[in-house]
Amino acid sequence: QVSELVQFLLVKDQKKIPIKRIDMQKNVIGPGPACSEIINRAGRTLQEVFGLQLVEIDHKRHTYILINNLPRAEGEYLYRGKEKEKMGLLLIILSFIFMKGNSVKDGALWEFLNLLHVYPGKQHRVFGDVRKLVTEEFTRLKYLEITPIPLTDPPEFKYQWGPRAENETSKRDVLNFVAKIQGKDPTFWASQYSEASA
Amino acid sequence: ENREAMLNSKSNRLTEALEEANKLFDGVCRAREAALDAQFLVIASNIGKEKANELHSEMSAFDSTAFAEDLLTFMGINRTEESDDPEDVPSGFLRSDAWQTMGEEAPKYFRRAPTFHYMMGSSKSEPPVPKQRIERQRKASRGKAERAMPAQLKKMEESHQETTEKEVERILRILQTHFENDPNTPISFFDFVIDPNSFAHTAENLFHVSFLLRDGLAKIKLDEDKLPVIEPTKPSGRGEEDSRAGERNQVVISLDEREWK
Repeated sequence: QVSELVQFLLVKDQKKIPIKRIDMQKNVIGPGPACSEIINRAGRTLQEVFGLQLVEIDHKRHTYILINNLPRAEGEYLYRGKEKEKMGLLLIILSFIFMKGNSVKDGALWEFLNLLHVYPGKQHRVFGDVRKLVTEEFTRLKYLEITPIPLTDPPEFKYQWGPRAENETSKRDVLNFVAKIQGKDPTFWASQYSEASA
Repeated sequence: ENREAMLNSKSNRLTEALEEANKLFDGVCRAREAALDAQFLVIASNIGKEKANELHSEMSAFDSTAFAEDLLTFMGINRTEESDDPEDVPSGFLRSDAWQTMGEEAPKYFRRAPTFHYMMGSSKSEPPVPKQRIERQRKASRGKAERAMPAQLKKMEESHQETTEKEVERILRILQTHFENDPNTPISFFDFVIDPNSFAHTAENLFHVSFLLRDGLAKIKLDEDKLPVIEPTKPSGRGEEDSRAGERNQVVISLDEREWK
């Protein structure tokens, strides 16, 4: 049963949408006390055999994601389709959010992206409907969390890191990226540096 | 309008706007204008509040405009070069591979689990890792995946199975066609499976050919130079079972990316 669950998780993870415990129970394990033990054992198998970590990102709703626990290899990264470019855009967005204090308003984010010739209303040569990519796909995959700001008219939203971003990368990594791009030492931004090192 | 510009801690635009509003108010004599003035005050005070928030914010000043410019440079738009090259696109446009450059850099910062696909095995989705420990993990993972597979056959999508079969059939047909044209020359095995442009595709070919061998539809022999060659087996009746049992040999061929090059 553990190996069935491992198979199930690996296939479900293809879409990168968080996996719910209820789905695991419906399709593979029955409900009941054995459930957590089976999930734990599946997690150990995933770690030992594949080097993947099963992380519960929502303790109330019991949803899980898989992340890569192997040390980063120097080689080529083989991703399908436009994955790499999307990760590029995502990295830039996450960097902007962190450097600006972990939360930004949608207006501020799009104003910044415009500087990179990325416009919410305009079809992008690489990304297509960028607004959809950012507000729908990135949030569905839990890379970003978008919440409405109360009492704003017209409604405004704030953008923060989602739980997948918290697990797959780190403030330190992102600060290093910014430092690399700007040709400065990460300590140049003292407060961000100390937050990233905490 | 221009909220970001006003919020920029270095700008005095908010103060200037307030001063201008004050001056204008002196000229006001109608209620409607007073109402507009009141509206302006509300917006201005909201902005003022945000600015105050930014002052209290723990973050060191981050110049996003400079960041954006540096990103554009990183992605390949270099302002100083533009005037020299008449073929270059006018400023303000990114070269078509700009985001690809970004795409090469970005994955280094994420620990994303590679997506799992039966057909591709591990060569397409995982980066080539030289460590011994991890090589063993990959072989073990393939073994475990196959053992668990029969249990899951009902649940897994059939499309994966079908595509593999179609691919195997296609490869068999290619082999047979070649043989019809030239019955006495078996093809060099390596010529047959290696795709000079894609290591991943080569691995796929090996995978599909292994099915043909397993089912006895093709066979591999060593030629005079001791190099492997592959040829289809002639279709035979039921009485061939002894030869099938006798001729099976297990050969492990290891081919990594360096050798392939």
